[in-house]
Amino acid sequence: MAETFVPDPSERINKRIPMPYAAQLPDIIKRNYGKWVDRKFHGNGIIEHISESGESIFTVKVGLPPNSRISVDTLKKIIDVADTYGLKVVRATRGMNVEFITDSLDKAKKIVDIMKGYGFPAGGWGNSLWHITSCTAYLTCSTFAVDAPSITKALYDYFMPYFTGEEKLPSKLDIFVSGCTNICAGTLAGDIVVVGHWGQAPTPDPEKIKFCLPTSAEALKKVTPDVAAVCPVNAIKLYAKEDGSVGIEVDDKRCIACGRCKNVCDYFDWDPDKVGVAVFVGGKTSNTGSGPRLAYRIVPWVPVNPPEYREIVAVVRKIVDVWKKNAESGERIGDTIDRIGLEEFMRQVGVPKSRHNACIEVSWNFGVRQFIKYV
Amino acid sequence: MTISDIKEQKLSEDDMKALEKLEKGPWPSHVTELKKTKYPIEYYAWGVMHKYSPWYSGSFRVRYVFSGILARRSRDGKVSEVHFRTYSPAGRFLSTAYLKKIAYVAEQYGIGLLEFAGNTGSIVINIQPDKADQAIDIIRNVMGSDVGGSGDTFREFYACPGPALCEFALYDTLAAMDFYRSHPEIYKFFNTQLFPYKIKVKFSGCPFDCAGANARSDFTFIGTWVGAPEVDQEKLREMIKSGKVDPKELVKRCPSGAISWDDDRQQLKIDGDKCLKAMNCIKMAFPAIKPGKNRKIALLVGSHAQAHYGPRLSWGVALLDDYKEALPFILKVIDIYSNNAPRRHRLADLILRRGFRLISEAAKETLPDKPKATPSSHLRFTTGAVLSDDERVAYTEWAKSLVKEYYGGEQ
Repeated sequence: MAETFVPDPSERINKRIPMPYAAQLPDIIKRNYGKWVDRKFHGNGIIEHISESGESIFTVKVGLPPNSRISVDTLKKIIDVADTYGLKVVRATRGMNVEFITDSLDKAKKIVDIMKGYGFPAGGWGNSLWHITSCTAYLTCSTFAVDAPSITKALYDYFMPYFTGEEKLPSKLDIFVSGCTNICAGTLAGDIVVVGHWGQAPTPDPEKIKFCLPTSAEALKKVTPDVAAVCPVNAIKLYAKEDGSVGIEVDDKRCIACGRCKNVCDYFDWDPDKVGVAVFVGGKTSNTGSGPRLAYRIVPWVPVNPPEYREIVAVVRKIVDVWKKNAESGERIGDTIDRIGLEEFMRQVGVPKSRHNACIEVSWNFGVRQFIKYV
Repeated sequence: MTISDIKEQKLSEDDMKALEKLEKGPWPSHVTELKKTKYPIEYYAWGVMHKYSPWYSGSFRVRYVFSGILARRSRDGKVSEVHFRTYSPAGRFLSTAYLKKIAYVAEQYGIGLLEFAGNTGSIVINIQPDKADQAIDIIRNVMGSDVGGSGDTFREFYACPGPALCEFALYDTLAAMDFYRSHPEIYKFFNTQLFPYKIKVKFSGCPFDCAGANARSDFTFIGTWVGAPEVDQEKLREMIKSGKVDPKELVKRCPSGAISWDDDRQQLKIDGDKCLKAMNCIKMAFPAIKPGKNRKIALLVGSHAQAHYGPRLSWGVALLDDYKEALPFILKVIDIYSNNAPRRHRLADLILRRGFRLISEAAKETLPDKPKATPSSHLRFTTGAVLSDDERVAYTEWAKSLVKEYYGGEQ
């Protein structure tokens, strides 16, 4: 494959149209595209899709390391397995795992065994933990409060039996772990969403903050620099210093620690001991039960203690235990909270109440329900 | 430990030793994977143990390529980290032939590390800075993909597997994603940084919304239907007889009370006017109960996780018969958004500032005959919090009591 290109650099302005979806589909899927009529579960990790033509395919879901970080070495193993036992195609799932596609149950079971041998468990469908999605955090990001992949690892290590199906859950469970309030793990509409945040107002780095400010205070008369303009609560004040340069001040009474300023300027500092995670519970995007909704902030702050993160794991375990105790079969956390009441749910979790988790219960009508004029 | 200690970024063996704990445990470890590559793991170890990001954002560019390249440098300035976001095919079906090319790029031009299922929808490949120019050429000419999807432009689109792998898909999500992504009027915005902030487009085939489109895309397409689900009474009776389905459970689990069960005639009735498309009955009694025949696509706008006024869910706009019908509306809204939104405001922030009329008027003009939605109002959410010392102590105590409950005396 060793090809060398020595194009004119200006050629690089010619972007490429991303490839069409059909280019990489196996023939059996092309033949039965849109003709699937039934599905069967074979354990937690294998789904059989049956076409109206009678053909069927089997998908196997296999868990990947947190943030789906894999080395080329592991990728080659995946390619090998897909070539030997699959239909030479895999699918990257939204929950950062991988799906193998094959044409017989025996081959599917073989894939489960081989991947298990490599240390990658199969599971994650039906009434189980579907995925713990993580952002990249300290691996590649500069804005982060806590490290999401290692928290994800700590959570997965405990919750793995729920993924493989050895332990049962009342319904599907999605967990998202984000390292900061940007929520790059995807969404706040998850069953349990762990969001890292600073828990404090940012402190401008006295030496380096100048890189985010105009050099002369004259500029302030014309435009508000990004670093102050992005603040949704106007907590960042810029002012002219006596020497004509620009000063910056953060009002920690107003600050909501949303991290927007950190997004546009790296040079804010924080005290690592005040950093923590908030735990949001009961959201979902699916229209089942009471419909799509964002999650409630039930726990505003939990201390972060790497590398085991016992506090965070214990809090998530408590929430899952309370859900398991109260849920009727098939109920996701949000629906259980709706039935027993948020107040009661929080009482059973036992979390101290403060101004930060005074959640208001509301009846929501989101997603496709906005198109139904039934009231 | 003070902040000035942190700023020196002194790497130590202790941090690496502590990181070894993350290699234990039953779940596959990212640290084990990182150690197989040339990733500067000492810096990651330092970051994790100090609760402080090891990276500053770096500036790195390949001439004429304006999106999809991200770079970081370490606080001590010794190490840099560059990664590319590459587009994947709709539904993210990846053939092994394609994966082999990715492996080739990651090995020859990168450090042997990739993010296999990136959250925007892309595959992220770590690249060596001095080979980045050639890597672009290889990704375009050999891999057959392109870099892109970062910054203030269209992010990678995302579609659920749809008709390729799912029985519930109500329209062709993959074709829809391809149509929009390669349409000249949309495609012209790729590899540019023209918008006030990012724009995301996601496609879900049914109200289950596996793409998470309801909560994370500025333009949301969700398959739905009008009226009641389709019931095959014969098949349902069979399923009830064999014990797979309990009709009482079907009635009970319907959130709108649209289902009734006639015990004498052994028939299930669903009131189409009341039906909320919650899919609870379909999930329990598929394939005896299926989505209705009068299929539509719900077009919604404005959800996100990250923006000026905090996370939002989508506002409903109109019911479409075909995914192609939304194109003039999308172009119109992009135009309104680009002209009116302040920098780093998402579409929903503009809606909150200027009112939903902005969108509903665009919809009236560009989608004249389509049934419109009644959008719900939103609560304001904040994700972070500034805590007082007392509050911090209270939550620490509580967390400690839980640790004691679950881990016992072994700490």
